[in-house]
Parts: sequence; structure tokens; C-alpha cells
Amino acid sequence: MENKILIVDDEAHIRMLIEQTLEELEDEGVEFLTAENGEIALEIIQKENPKLVFLDVMMPKMNGMEVCRRVKKELELKDVFIVLLTAKGQELDRQRGQEVGADVYMTKPFDPEIILSKAKEVLGIE
Amino acid sequence: MARVSLKNIVGKKNEVNAAVVALMSQLNEATWIEDENGKLLLGNSTKTPNSSFPINLDNEIIGWVKGDENAMMIADLITHLAQKEAEKKKLGTEVLNLYQELNVIYNFSEKLTQTIDPDVIAQLTLEQAIHSIPSHSGVIVLWSEEKKQLTIPAKSGEQLFNEDLLRNNPGVLLKIGLSGQSEIITDLSLLKEKGIIEQDVQSLIYAAMKVKHRIMGAIILAGKDVEQYSAAHLKLLVTLALQSSTAIESAMLYEKNIREVREREEAILRIHEVTKKFVPNEFIRSLGKETLTDVKLGDQVEKIVTVLFTDIRDFTTLSEKMTPEENFHFVSSFNARLGPVIRSNNGFINQYLGDSIMAIFPDDPIDALNAAINMQKAIHELNEERKQAKLPPIKAGIGMHTGSLIMGITGDEHRMDAATISDTVNTAARIESLTKYYRSPLLLSEHTLQYLNGQNKFHFRHLGNVRLKGKNNLLAIIECINGFDDIQFERKLQTLSLFNDAMSSYHDQQFENALQIFQTIHSQDPDDLTTIYFLDKTKKYLREGTPKNWTGAEEMVSK
Repeated sequence: MENKILIVDDEAHIRMLIEQTLEELEDEGVEFLTAENGEIALEIIQKENPKLVFLDVMMPKMNGMEVCRRVKKELELKDVFIVLLTAKGQELDRQRGQEVGADVYMTKPFDPEIILSKAKEVLGIE
Repeated sequence: MARVSLKNIVGKKNEVNAAVVALMSQLNEATWIEDENGKLLLGNSTKTPNSSFPINLDNEIIGWVKGDENAMMIADLITHLAQKEAEKKKLGTEVLNLYQELNVIYNFSEKLTQTIDPDVIAQLTLEQAIHSIPSHSGVIVLWSEEKKQLTIPAKSGEQLFNEDLLRNNPGVLLKIGLSGQSEIITDLSLLKEKGIIEQDVQSLIYAAMKVKHRIMGAIILAGKDVEQYSAAHLKLLVTLALQSSTAIESAMLYEKNIREVREREEAILRIHEVTKKFVPNEFIRSLGKETLTDVKLGDQVEKIVTVLFTDIRDFTTLSEKMTPEENFHFVSSFNARLGPVIRSNNGFINQYLGDSIMAIFPDDPIDALNAAINMQKAIHELNEERKQAKLPPIKAGIGMHTGSLIMGITGDEHRMDAATISDTVNTAARIESLTKYYRSPLLLSEHTLQYLNGQNKFHFRHLGNVRLKGKNNLLAIIECINGFDDIQFERKLQTLSLFNDAMSSYHDQQFENALQIFQTIHSQDPDDLTTIYFLDKTKKYLREGTPKNWTGAEEMVSK
């Protein structure tokens, strides 16, 4: 599995923000992939096999929950580390997140430092 | 500025890079891309390129395209891509900074909602400010409307501020935060001269704390490095200050409300305590309220009542001869005899005030008068017993007045006073005092007489008018003689018409005539002290004459 991170959000500025937050990982050879909806995300995950996915929950076409469920439960890609992102005030209960197999659950607005440290931890980068 | 790495630009798997690779392979000569250190990034290198073209970004060489002259085309293309990447990074960095700021503010608001203590909010604000805007020291100064001075609810970091001087120099501070401005101060000489900040402070930044247009105070941060603060810092500090101001204002309002509610409760309790002395619960209940606290602001309850006061004569002298225990027993046994008399005549005791009793009769004054007469009889009985025990007799004075007793809560929401409009109570108490003056055991006002049904059951002597201290109107004072013991009562009854004649001569300033009649009464009833009182007065006027405008009314200068 290559050091790839997939960022899935329908909002371009959020994709840009996460990418910018993780910028320093580029020097470590990490490749960034982005997707603007759940369907595209599912395709990329199958094709590129990223180690880490930041997945927005509220998206058109296929929502993050469903993407997560398919990846973890149907495709059984258990090694893909999935961080579910949801807006504050629209928190889903953790149980539902666990049911679909999400590894971590974060709220937006996120703390950039937490996103970066989580990515480093998952990719095994000091 | 974000660093752009050529490796990352050409290393990306995208259409543009695919095109670059395709283009390079189309060239005749080998063409390759190296980074600034000569490390091969893309293409196949040969040892000696014919031409080398630098890739410049902001006057900095970030790599080379090597090959023949055609490599220049590739170099131009890569330079263009690098510029685009740099712009994207710059924008990305800015957005990220904004986002981080937003995150700070978001989290800060969340923290603020978790407390309602103004000091805690101030401290939280300062900690956040110093965390987001690295500083060596910081304080929050707030103007306290209550104390009319500056307070320092929060401080953090090194001791770079002199708090006392800070507090006591609002003038200097007016030049900064309290003027409502926010800025980075470059000239620190005045503040250092005044000793408000330490000499090693090199940078100062502050933001006004305000709600609407009212300035509450300021957050001031100090740093020991030159040019420690940027415009972005100032913007963030202003945002934090504004958020914090609103939170502190709300917290203070909340505190104030709580305090006021508590004060009001205490005031009501205090009023209840105080008023209980003057207005018994029976009275309040007789007005249809359970307790005094049921009486709402603006409520007023009014009723015509007769207020009766009784007081043991020379109690001080009497009590001096007794031990405290004897004293207590004496007063209790006295009250124990009088209490039932009051209650059996439809009255209630408002309060035992040491040796005196205040009672209220809500119905006809006849109840009060009957009670007074029976009380006197009870005292006679008590004195018989005392006589057996070789104790001196007890003398008591009883005074009463009839009028409205208004009880209510006045003032505004914040300040409530129980206005036991106690003019009736006061007047009754003063009339009781007059018993000493006229040397009569039972006096009532003209108002009691006026409201009294069944006047013919009693015998009265009119003692003339008095002007009580602090009053404009004259009040006619009447003595009821029914309470005297049998012998004394008989004598007074027999001299009653003489007494009335004497009083009318006295008021007409026919003092010779009055003197003669009073002397007649005195010879028949030598124990009649009231007659002695008027006899002395008459003699005095005969001797000295009357003052100008004399009407016969007694002016009471003491209570």
C-alpha cells in the first residue's frame, strides 16, 4: 500500500484546507488524492488503495457513511483508515460511526494540528 | 512564503506532467530535469548537456532543465507550473491561517459558554490571547462602574506590568485601550517613564473590550522582542476582545441579577422581621393575606383599627432592685395577666416590647377600652398581692388611638420598604407617653372616642388639646376614669361636672375661677393627680401670665 491520502469533501475549500494542512507530508513522499463526492471517492479507493481517507459525511450522491460502509463492510478493505468528518452541531452518534466501520470521527471546523498528527500517526511518519 | 519543491511539481501524477514527459521524449536530444542540487528528477541525463536552463521562482533557482536548446521550452513550461503551484500554496496558506483563526475563535466561544464567572472568562480570554499571539505577559483591565476604578481581573506570564500603577493611571490608559481603539504601540516611552511597564518590554499590543459603544476595558499583551506583533495578531486580538466583552457583560448582568434577587429576598425577610414587630400576622391575615411576603409591591392594605400601648411606670427604678431573673419573672407574670384580657376583648398582641405591650383591636374601639379597663383592674389585683408581699405597687399607663393602619410595600423593584404607615401606631405610643405628663392611667384620643359605639357606658374627662411633636394638627386628649379602683372611681364620678367646669374656665383663661374649682376637686379627691397637674398649671399662669396666642393646647416637644 502506497503512502496515499484521499480527501473527500464536496466543498473545494475544505479539500484545499486539508491538503494545505498536510502539505509537509508531501516532502515525505505522500501523494494526495481528492474527490468531490462519494461515488468518485469509492472509485479512487478501489483503484489507488490509499492508506488514509478523510471522508466528509454530508455529501451529494453518496454520503460518507455509505462510502465508509461499502469500503469496510462490502469491499472489506479493512486496512484503509477512515476519518469521518462531520459539521459541528450535526454530530452523528458514535455508535452509527462505529457501525459503518469508521476508525476515527472528527468534527468540522477541525483543528489542523489534530488532523496532521492523526495523518502522521496512521502513515507512520515521525 | 510556502516553499515550492520542484520534486513535488514534476512528481505529481497528473495530465500536465504526463504531457511534459511526452514532450521531453519527442525531443531529439536527451532532456532532463534536475533539482537545485543537481539531483535528477525527470528524464534521462547525459553527462554533458549542451544547454542548461534554470527554473526561476521569485529570483531563486529551484532547479534546472538540461539538454539542447529545445530544453528552454521545457524550462519555461516548468517555470510556469512552479509559479502556479506557488500561487496555489500562497492562497492555501492564507486560507489555512484564516481557518486556524476561525478554529481558535470557535473553540474560544465554546469555552466561554461553559462559564458564567466574569473573572474566569477574563482569565480564559487572556490565556487564549497569549496562546494565539505569543507574548511574554498580558493583562486585562476592566473599568468597574461599581468601584469607580480600574480592576485587573486577569493577568498571565511574566511580571512586565506594574499592576498598581496600571490601576491608578486611567489617564495614561485612556490614551490606549480605554479610548476604544486597538493598536500595536511602537512608542513605549511614556508607559516606561510612568513605570507602568518594565524597561525590557519591546512590543505592546492591545484591543479594546467593548459592548456596543461602551468601553469596558482592554486586553494588553507585552513582548520582549522587537516587532513581535503583526496586523494579523491585532485582528485576532480584536476578535477575542469583542467575544470576551460580550461574555463578560452577560456574566456580570447575570451576577447582578442573582445578587439583586438575593438582596430582594433578604430585604423581604428583613421587612418581614421588622414589620412583625409592628404588624402581627393576625393583622395581615385579617386582611386576607397569608404572610407579609404575600403582600406584593404596590399592594396596600388598610383598615381602621385601635392601637393600644401599655407601659409600666418607672420600670427602670423598679427593675434596678431586682435580679435579672426576678425581672424576667416580673415582666412575664405581668404580661401573663394582661395578655388574656386583650385576647378576650377581640384584640391581639402585636409585640411585647420589654415592659410595654402593643395591642391592636381591629373592630370597635369599645374592645380596646374594655380591655384597658380590665387591664387596670388586673393591675389592681396584682397590687393587692404585692401589698401582701410588702412590695411596692405597680403603676402602668395605657394610651390608645384609632386610625387607619396602612401596610404595604413601597419603592421600586430593587428596593422594597415595608411602609407600615404607622402614624396610628406612633400616635398611640405618644398618647401612652402623655399618661406620665397628665399623671393619668388611661388616655385616648378624640378619634377613638369618635369611632366608639356606646360612649354612654363610660365616663370621660376632656383634658384639652395637645400638639404632638412633629405634627401640625391638634389632638384632643380624653381620660377614661372607669379603670380606677372603686373608691377613686366614685370620687372622680362625683367631681366630674366640677372638673369639666374647671377645664372650661381654664381654657377661657378664667384662671381665678379655674383655680377655685380645681382646689375644690382636690379637697374632695386628694389622690387625683390629673387635678393636681392642672392646679399647678393654673397657679403658674396666674403667677406668670399666659404666653401670646395661648389656646390652652399643650405643645409636646419630646416624644
